[in-house]
Amino acid sequence: MDDPRAARLVETVLRCYPARWQRRHGEEAADLATLLIRDGTPAVSVAWSYLAGAAREWLTPRPGRYLTAVACALLVAACSLGVSAGLLASAAPARAASTSQAPGRSQCRPGSPGAVPGVTPAISRPQVIIWDTGHGRSC
Amino acid sequence: MAVSRRDGRAGQDVLRRVGEASVLILISLADGPKHGYALIQDIKQLADVELGPGTLYGALDRLERLGLIEPLPADDRRHPYRITAPGAAALRVHLDSLERVSAAGRLRLRLGGI
Repeated sequence: MDDPRAARLVETVLRCYPARWQRRHGEEAADLATLLIRDGTPAVSVAWSYLAGAAREWLTPRPGRYLTAVACALLVAACSLGVSAGLLASAAPARAASTSQAPGRSQCRPGSPGAVPGVTPAISRPQVIIWDTGHGRSC
Repeated sequence: MAVSRRDGRAGQDVLRRVGEASVLILISLADGPKHGYALIQDIKQLADVELGPGTLYGALDRLERLGLIEPLPADDRRHPYRITAPGAAALRVHLDSLERVSAAGRLRLRLGGI
């Protein structure tokens, strides 16, 4: 790989590191990569090593990062709770409105004028589930 | 979490879990401060191990967090590192432990006639 392309590849991979790491080691790491590539180490091998290092750097738990992760998790939990509460609140008036139409739905009740003769509505047959050695049987 | 000087004296092998790269870096720094490129070259000569630059910086950060090495002021963008007193004590304890294991292994090979 020619020098400019190798340098660009390493630069790209070095950007995968956390900002704190880049501030601390970024310039030195780029210099080190140049020296290693000049010595004959393949640029891909250098880039791969930095990429694995960047992954390890992100995955290594640190006290500060742990607190940030906890804060983010709490924020996400609070947001999802808020969204759920909002959805429930918006659904409640609609449900109340639908129950107020009960007279209209009474046609579906057994024995009501709207019932089909000869057909037993399912509601009059209580469902019993018998659990027998792990097999659920409904009758 | 830095390793105190007392921990090194107590004989606890703190280097048992830090990995081979960290031990090789400490061995390389035992004869004087070095920066990244010099460390890679020295470890290649010393142990025939080619340390990747990503592995090197990970190990340097870990050793520094443990207080086993410390950075020196940068010269021309390069940060040399030097081994600290607790680092030297920890390395001594680890090498003693390796020697004991090595001696036991050799003895068993001899007893086993292999």
